[in-house]
Amino acid sequence: MANALGAILQNFVAGTADIQGAALVSPDGLPLASTLPSGMDEERTSAMSAAMLSLGERIGKELARGEVDRILVEGNNGYGILMGCGEEAVLLVLANQSAKQGLLMLDIKKAVSQLKAALN
Amino acid sequence: MATVTRANLGDFSSIVCFKSVITGMEDALGEKATAISLISAGRARGKALAKSLGLSGASTDLAKIAALLNEAVGQNGTRLTAVDSITDEGSMIKVYCSETICSAGEEIGSPRKCTFSMGAIWGALEEVTGLKLRGIHTESVLRGGTHDVFEFTKVD
Repeated sequence: MANALGAILQNFVAGTADIQGAALVSPDGLPLASTLPSGMDEERTSAMSAAMLSLGERIGKELARGEVDRILVEGNNGYGILMGCGEEAVLLVLANQSAKQGLLMLDIKKAVSQLKAALN
Repeated sequence: MATVTRANLGDFSSIVCFKSVITGMEDALGEKATAISLISAGRARGKALAKSLGLSGASTDLAKIAALLNEAVGQNGTRLTAVDSITDEGSMIKVYCSETICSAGEEIGSPRKCTFSMGAIWGALEEVTGLKLRGIHTESVLRGGTHDVFEFTKVD
């Protein structure tokens, strides 16, 4: 399964303009598959992503914002987007600053649907 | 670079303060995000510890690893936990610990699971054996067990 997930991520990153990397992470913060820019530590990135999504879910609940759809970090070098991928995984996507958010979200949703199918 | 040491208080601190760090983090960040962070911190600590002891890829002899870890983090070491034994169950490695810092001070029946302690053993085991592992806390002294047992499954 790890190979199938890795292939989906590779195709997603290679085939989508402005996307620099992606990682699929277990809810307890362990890497399942990743295509990250060099120099990024896969294990640290995974733990950070799962903790961030969990914290976002807590904010959604405690501050009455409802179910979290995604978490978006926007910096001057680009975006980091976290999205739940079913019960079994969290998807992190890194995109550069010229990415169009609407198109980016559409591409991410397509990738999530492929990843969910592979996870099942 | 020189490091600051405590001339009077020494290297040890109370479990009460350590547990307050955990419960405070859980209050602010939630149990799950805290657990992820503490397991990650434990793994980093375990890996660094094994490296500092010159044990990277050093052994697959689990009895020897248990003794080395116990020396490093048990009664004669940092006193994080006693590592009583490690067994190989085929695709799984089971580590039997007692007096873990995570279970100390908890009421019997508490649902608390080990995070930092398990992470530290996890990271050290990965560093010493060179295997990639996935860990869970199964039996607990808080819930009728004789030990806190951590099960590590080998990941391809």
